[in-house]
Amino acid sequence: MDGAKVTLGRMAGLYAGAAVLRLAVFTLIPGLPDLLTGRVEISTPVTSFKRLQEGLFLYNHNVSPYDGGVYHQAPLFLPLFSLLPSFASLPIFTYLLYIAVDLVSARALWRIADSGEAVSSALFTSPRREKRWSGLVIAAVFLFNPFTIATCIGRSTSVFTTCAILHAIAKAVSGAPLGAMVALSFASYLSMYPLFLLPPLVLLCYDRQRPERATNSPLKFAAVCASAVAGVVAVLFQLSYLVTGSWEFLPSTYGVQLTLSDLTPNVGLWWYFFIEMFDSFRSFFLAVFWLHLSSYVGGLTVRIRRQPLVVLTLLLGIFAIFKPYPSISDMSLFLAVVPLYRHVFPLMRYTFVSAAVVLYASCLGPAFYYLWIYAGSGNANFFYAITLVWGLGLSLLVCDLMFAVLRDEWEVERPEMAGKEIRQI
Amino acid sequence: MQQGPARQEKRVQRRAARRGANIADIGGRATRFPLAMTTQLQQQLPGNGPRAKKQPPPEKASDVRRRSYIILSFWLIVLCLGLPIWWKTTTIYRADLPVQEMLDWADGKACRPVFPLRISIQANALQDQEAQNLLRLTQHALDDLNDFSGHHLRLQLAPPAAAEIHDPESVLTIRLVPGDTTTSTFDPYEPILCITYPQNAIPSPTSSSSILATYIASQLRSTFAEEQATISYLLSTNSIPSDHRSQGLSSDVAESLSKRTTRSLKYAPTYHLTFSLLTSGPLPSSWDIEGAIAEYMKPVLDVLSPIHNFTIDTQVQLYATPGVQNQVLNKEDLSSFINAAEWPLSPSIGGAPTINFIVFVGNQTIASPQTPEEGDATTATSHSWLIPQWGTVYLLPLAHDTTHVSSSALKLPLLTFTSHLLSFTGAPHSGSLPLRLSTLARIRSADLLLRASSTLGSLARLALALPSISIPGSVADGVSKTMRHLRLACETLGGPEGLAHARVAEAEAERAFFEKSMVGQLYFPDEHKIAVYMPLLGPVAVPLVMGLLNELKAWRKRRREAAEAGAEKKKE
Repeated sequence: MDGAKVTLGRMAGLYAGAAVLRLAVFTLIPGLPDLLTGRVEISTPVTSFKRLQEGLFLYNHNVSPYDGGVYHQAPLFLPLFSLLPSFASLPIFTYLLYIAVDLVSARALWRIADSGEAVSSALFTSPRREKRWSGLVIAAVFLFNPFTIATCIGRSTSVFTTCAILHAIAKAVSGAPLGAMVALSFASYLSMYPLFLLPPLVLLCYDRQRPERATNSPLKFAAVCASAVAGVVAVLFQLSYLVTGSWEFLPSTYGVQLTLSDLTPNVGLWWYFFIEMFDSFRSFFLAVFWLHLSSYVGGLTVRIRRQPLVVLTLLLGIFAIFKPYPSISDMSLFLAVVPLYRHVFPLMRYTFVSAAVVLYASCLGPAFYYLWIYAGSGNANFFYAITLVWGLGLSLLVCDLMFAVLRDEWEVERPEMAGKEIRQI
Repeated sequence: MQQGPARQEKRVQRRAARRGANIADIGGRATRFPLAMTTQLQQQLPGNGPRAKKQPPPEKASDVRRRSYIILSFWLIVLCLGLPIWWKTTTIYRADLPVQEMLDWADGKACRPVFPLRISIQANALQDQEAQNLLRLTQHALDDLNDFSGHHLRLQLAPPAAAEIHDPESVLTIRLVPGDTTTSTFDPYEPILCITYPQNAIPSPTSSSSILATYIASQLRSTFAEEQATISYLLSTNSIPSDHRSQGLSSDVAESLSKRTTRSLKYAPTYHLTFSLLTSGPLPSSWDIEGAIAEYMKPVLDVLSPIHNFTIDTQVQLYATPGVQNQVLNKEDLSSFINAAEWPLSPSIGGAPTINFIVFVGNQTIASPQTPEEGDATTATSHSWLIPQWGTVYLLPLAHDTTHVSSSALKLPLLTFTSHLLSFTGAPHSGSLPLRLSTLARIRSADLLLRASSTLGSLARLALALPSISIPGSVADGVSKTMRHLRLACETLGGPEGLAHARVAEAEAERAFFEKSMVGQLYFPDEHKIAVYMPLLGPVAVPLVMGLLNELKAWRKRRREAAEAGAEKKKE
């Protein structure tokens, strides 16, 4: 009882701290939110708050928000933000909404951490399970991560996707498959790419079913989950249709992600490639990039079948590198789930290198962008080179984490090898 | 140190495998595939002692199966999604073009440009019998004179009821009026040729020749000589087979025609006329150009309107410095008079070709009247000269204190401009204005027909020459539309709808030829495709292919071992 009270107190303290920090940044440095909103590292064409306001303005004036080709986000954001008092007169409500979304995400992360799924799943229990961080630490790492704070201050709408994905995982580990599927449907509706998380999430749900209503047929379970997702997404589409009055939002939101028609620079690898691409090969390479992104799902799900949460984590990392419009908010989501694997950190080999590379890229990225766009003393290659370095750092981290997890699994098979140096053959 | 043991291990394994020992295969695991990772102890070897070899434990069957699944999952995506998408997005769409037909058009085999010109004769004073006879004789005389089959004058007798008005079906009406001598005059407003004849000139029904008939025939011939020469010149400059051409095109006629063609602008459905008032000083600062155009130029623009549309803008530029400052301008100065750097004469507005008409108010004069030979090149009066395909400059002397140029002061410049405009559009020089205009329409339709045909031919040759160029459906559409309109134009050549069809055909042919997506791929050889595919797909393909090969190798080895084990069991 006492422990629960202490936890509750700590939770309240953590949340209050995070909320106060964000509110202070919002109110004490009034120029910062707008500055961050304009940064390409935070606001992509599909998550930008500025574009959301444009869409909102058109929506409130009974013009289709997709006219003008600026707004590429889901239509249901519009009624949500219309309910809030106008941002221009009372920005505090928008700030509070974003802070609340962050806190809710942190709460979901806390629940995932507390479930212990990361150290002992249904089919696998790590020998290092004792060495892990509590939910408090993991939530704190998420809430006080500069990337998370910057995303929140920049009011990128990707925080909603982050929240939905974390809730999907939290629901899955707590044995609520339907809730997980609904949350994933919301995430997919908002950003499309979370749909790729469906296979590992279904496996996670299947592994964590409550014994009293467990199904034994995995195929049937998967079919039910998939149809639940399809149903919820269909309902959301129908709602969007009612809100905007046409199906125009489909090409303007998902079409833009699929065809990369907006080539605004971002931290990802797509924009430069498709600026340079021959027109006649554009559609082919778009397909190649999307297939590349999706090809990891099957392989990883099969390989790390015993730990679906690892697959989800690695996929989030891969998406942060390879999706069409990545931003640092994807990085913050990946970094939010990585601490769940505190127990395999000692097995990772390149933590220093990857951390250094990511830090290097996050310091030099804005500088090179400035040199290119404002100072005019650099060119697009400067910024692209630094996004390559950023991708390199992230992929190092993903590979290293994968290696550590696989090694952890392997040592269960070969306990005599623990602590010895190994080599891939 | 690292390489030695590994190689040795392999050898040992191979030996073991040959012996059929019960060691699970590990030979196919050298894949770089990150997911199919297995690990092995790195050997800690003592310095000199005998090498103690430690074999990794046999791979579990479930691991082997899992690896197959992983490789399968990647290859399924490549084969089931990647290949169809590759096929669909990179195959070159080539719409079917009627190449042979297009080449026929370009070679002039599809259409023989024939201009059947109907000329009606009004001879109200004559008996029907006499008129018929005269007509027959004149037709004979015409046929004897004519050596160009494409241009055919056919006479007909106008019904007496239709007297006094011009029959719109026929090109020219000859009105025969009894008189004292044989004379001919053109009606200035209608395409009517009035011929008076003495009473005794009527041929008798039996005579086989008549002076009047010969006279009419030669009059007609001289009237249409220029048109005939122009059309046969057009045909000869295009790739029309020689039997269609007139043989009697002398070189000097051809030369003057080529000069005229260089002077006139390329045909466009719309021309943009820019009227500029340039003054050397502060005055005059305004002009009544609108009224002047309405009064002096509008009538001609109206009669040209079936052939061309015109858009007009005007401008006034004060303190305009000409390119030549001489008081008296010599012939050499005229070419550099236009101060292209400072005068705001934009080359082309909105895609339509621009004709510039400049009224320059200053005190400069042109030195001496041009000699007749030179007059052919740049038609110059004492005030104006024509710059081929560009426009006209008119030097307007005015009193120094004139602030406003009135409409009447602009009369001479505008009349000059109007006559020059006709030569810019390519109208012939001789004949009455209505006749010149109808000739212009015929010349233009022949020109457009030939141009569209040759564009079709170029397109067909391009499609044949570059098998890797894509031909979008819009090009095929354009080609079929062009051919349909060409056929219609060919059938109605000489009439107003012939010109309309030829216009459409030419526009469609140009659009089809300059299709954007086709031009982009014009120079894209197959070698470049390797450069496009390799940088990304090469590195991706290496682990995929190597993983698949290793897996297949391992699978074959397993099967062989299983077979050997089975055979040994049977032996036992």
